[in-house]
Amino acid sequence: MSKGTGSQALLLSAAAIFVGALGIAWITHGTGVVKDDPKRHIAVPKTLTVPLSVQAAYNGEDIFFRYRWTSPKPGIFHDMLRFEGGKWVVQGRAVPGSQPQGLHEDRIAMMVDDGSVPEFSRYGGYITIGKGLAGFSDETDSKAIKEHSYLGKKLKQDEPTKYLPATRRDINDYLSVVPEDELKAQRAAGYFLDLWHWRAARSNPVKLSDDQIVGEARLSDAGKGPYTTNWDNGKKQPRLMFDAAKAGHTALKWDDIVSGKIAQDSQHALREDIAAPFDPAFAWKEGDTLPRRIIRASDGSRADIKVAGTALWADGSWDVMLRRKMDTGNRLDDKIFVDRGVYHVAFAVHRQATGGRWHYVSLPLTVGLGRDADINAVRFNGDEPKWDQTAKAVTLFYPGQVGWAHVNSAKHPGADKVRAGVPVKFRHGELELANYGIEMEFNDAIRRQWLLTMLAGLLLIAAFAVAMNATLKSGKGA
Amino acid sequence: MAAYHVVLVHFPIALWMTAALAIVWRALSDGPVALAIDRALVPLLALGLASGVLSILVGLMVWPWDAVTTTPMGRNHIVLAVWTTAYWAVMLVTRILRGETLWHGLGRWIMAGLALLGAGLLGITGTLGGHLAGIYTDLSKVLRPLGWEVHRTFYVPDESLIALVAAAILLLAIAWWSRKPSTSV
Repeated sequence: MSKGTGSQALLLSAAAIFVGALGIAWITHGTGVVKDDPKRHIAVPKTLTVPLSVQAAYNGEDIFFRYRWTSPKPGIFHDMLRFEGGKWVVQGRAVPGSQPQGLHEDRIAMMVDDGSVPEFSRYGGYITIGKGLAGFSDETDSKAIKEHSYLGKKLKQDEPTKYLPATRRDINDYLSVVPEDELKAQRAAGYFLDLWHWRAARSNPVKLSDDQIVGEARLSDAGKGPYTTNWDNGKKQPRLMFDAAKAGHTALKWDDIVSGKIAQDSQHALREDIAAPFDPAFAWKEGDTLPRRIIRASDGSRADIKVAGTALWADGSWDVMLRRKMDTGNRLDDKIFVDRGVYHVAFAVHRQATGGRWHYVSLPLTVGLGRDADINAVRFNGDEPKWDQTAKAVTLFYPGQVGWAHVNSAKHPGADKVRAGVPVKFRHGELELANYGIEMEFNDAIRRQWLLTMLAGLLLIAAFAVAMNATLKSGKGA
Repeated sequence: MAAYHVVLVHFPIALWMTAALAIVWRALSDGPVALAIDRALVPLLALGLASGVLSILVGLMVWPWDAVTTTPMGRNHIVLAVWTTAYWAVMLVTRILRGETLWHGLGRWIMAGLALLGAGLLGITGTLGGHLAGIYTDLSKVLRPLGWEVHRTFYVPDESLIALVAAAILLLAIAWWSRKPSTSV
C-alpha cells in the first residue's frame, strides 16, 4: 500500500471517528441527569403539557364556567382508611408525583382577579409561588410555621402554601409576614386572588366546588368546608361508616378501589347523608375500606360555587361546569363579576393521582363579560347556558419549582424585563416553561454536565484538527 | 452590552457564511473563479475568527455568568458559539498549514463537510441568540423532530463524555501514526 493511499485511509478513519463521536453526542444528549429523586421531592412527569378548553357565560345573576381537560382515568378517590390486621390504616398519603394506588383526586382550580393584583395579569400563578413552598426541594420547616405567631398560631397553617408577594417583607422568606393590620388593609383593597377549587372527591359528591383565596397564604373562604377528616383521634377509629340502608354497603372493598371497578355514579363518597356513626363492633373484614374524608354541604362564603349539572369523566376527559353568583356579597373572599368587566384568570389541573405542586398550570388569561378578551363570557337569558360558543383552547404545563423569588433573582436573565412589567407570554411559551421548570430542578447537575460536554467537544474538535492536518500533511508528498 | 453583542455578531456571521460559500465553491471547482475565491479565504477566516472571539467575549458580558448559565437557552447559545468558533478556527488553521494542497484529493471534501457543519452551527447559534434577545423563530419546531428540544440544555451523559474523550485519543493516535516514516509495500 502506498503512503498516499494509507494517508487517505487514515484521513477517512479520522473523519469516521469524528462523525461517529458527534453521532453519539447527538443520540445521547439530554440523558443521564433528569430522573426522579424522592429525597429531594422530585418526580418528573412524562407529559409536560395538557390541553384544557374553557367556556364562560353569565345571565346577569350567575356566572358559569365550563372546563374540559384530558385525564387518562377519573381520579374520584382521595386518601382512604383500610382495615388491615385489626387496625384502620391510612392509605394514599401524598407522595412526589403520582400516588401509586391512584388515591389522589382529580381537581381543577381557577384563580381570579379583578385587577387589584396587577402582577397576576402578567405572570399568573408564578407570583403566588414563594420560596420553599410545600413539596419543594427546599421546603420551609413546618415546625417554624406552626410556631409562627400569625401563620401558625392564628391561621393554623402547618405547611408553606401559596401567598402574594406584598404579604411578605422578603419574598425569599415565607415567615416574614407583614403586620396583621397591613394584611387587613391589603384584603380590603382587594389584594387577594379568588380561588375556585373543584375537587373530584372532596367537593364534587355534594355538587360543590371548594371556594378559597390566596392572600398571605392559601386560605379558605369563611364558612364550613365541603369535607372533614373521618378520624376520631381519641378513639383511634373512623368517625363514620357508610349506612348500609342508604348506601347499599357498609364499606368499600380495597380491591375494587385500586382496580378502578367503582363507578362515578355509585355511592363511593362518604357523604353525611348516607353515613352512620362508626361501629367498632361490626364484623369488619380484611380489605374493608372507608374514605378518610367525610363529605358534607358547606356553608357561608365557602359554599358560593356550585357544580352545574353533573361533573363527569368520559372517554378520557372531564367535563365540569361551575356556577356562582356574580356578586356573592362576600367582597373580602370573592372577586365580584360585573357586566362589561374584564377579569384575569389562571387555571390549574391535578390528574393522574397527583397532589401539591405536581399540577399543570396555565399562563394568565382574560375573561370578558360582554367585552373582548381571551375568553369571551357570553350573556344569555335563562337558568343555564347553551354553550354554543367556541371554547378557548388553553395549554396547561408542568411548572416545576420555579417561583416568584427565582423569577426576580439575579439567576433569571429576564428579571429586568419582569421589573419592567413585560408579561411572561411575550418571552416564554408553555412547553418552553415546562422544560425550564424541569431543568431548574437539576440546575447544578446539568450545568456541570454541560460544561464538561463543551470541553469534551472542544477536545474532540481539536483532536480532529490535529489528525486531519497530520494525515493531509503526510499525504502531501504522495 | 446586549446591543454591542448584537452589532458585533453580524461580522462573524457574514464572514463565516461567505467563507462557507467560498470553501464549497473551491471544493467543487478548480476553475479560475474558485482559485481567486480561495485566495481570499484566509483573510475571511481570520477576520471571522477575530470578530467571532470578540463577539463571544462581549456576549459573556451581557448577563452575569451565573444568570446566563442557569438558563437552557443561555447554555445552548454559549456551547454552540464556542463550538462554532472552534470549527472555523480549525478551517483557518488547516488552510494556512496546508496551503493550496488542501484542495487536492480527499481534503477538499473534508473541508466542504466542515464548512457546511460550521455554517449550520453558526445559523443555529445566531438564532438561539435571537431567542435570548426575545426575537423568536420556528427553529425549535425544526430541531425537535431531529431530536433536540432547544429549550433543554445540550449535554451528554458521563458515558458519552468518555466516548468523546476516547474518540479524541484515537484521533491523536491517528495523527501520530500518520507521522511515522513511510513503509511502502
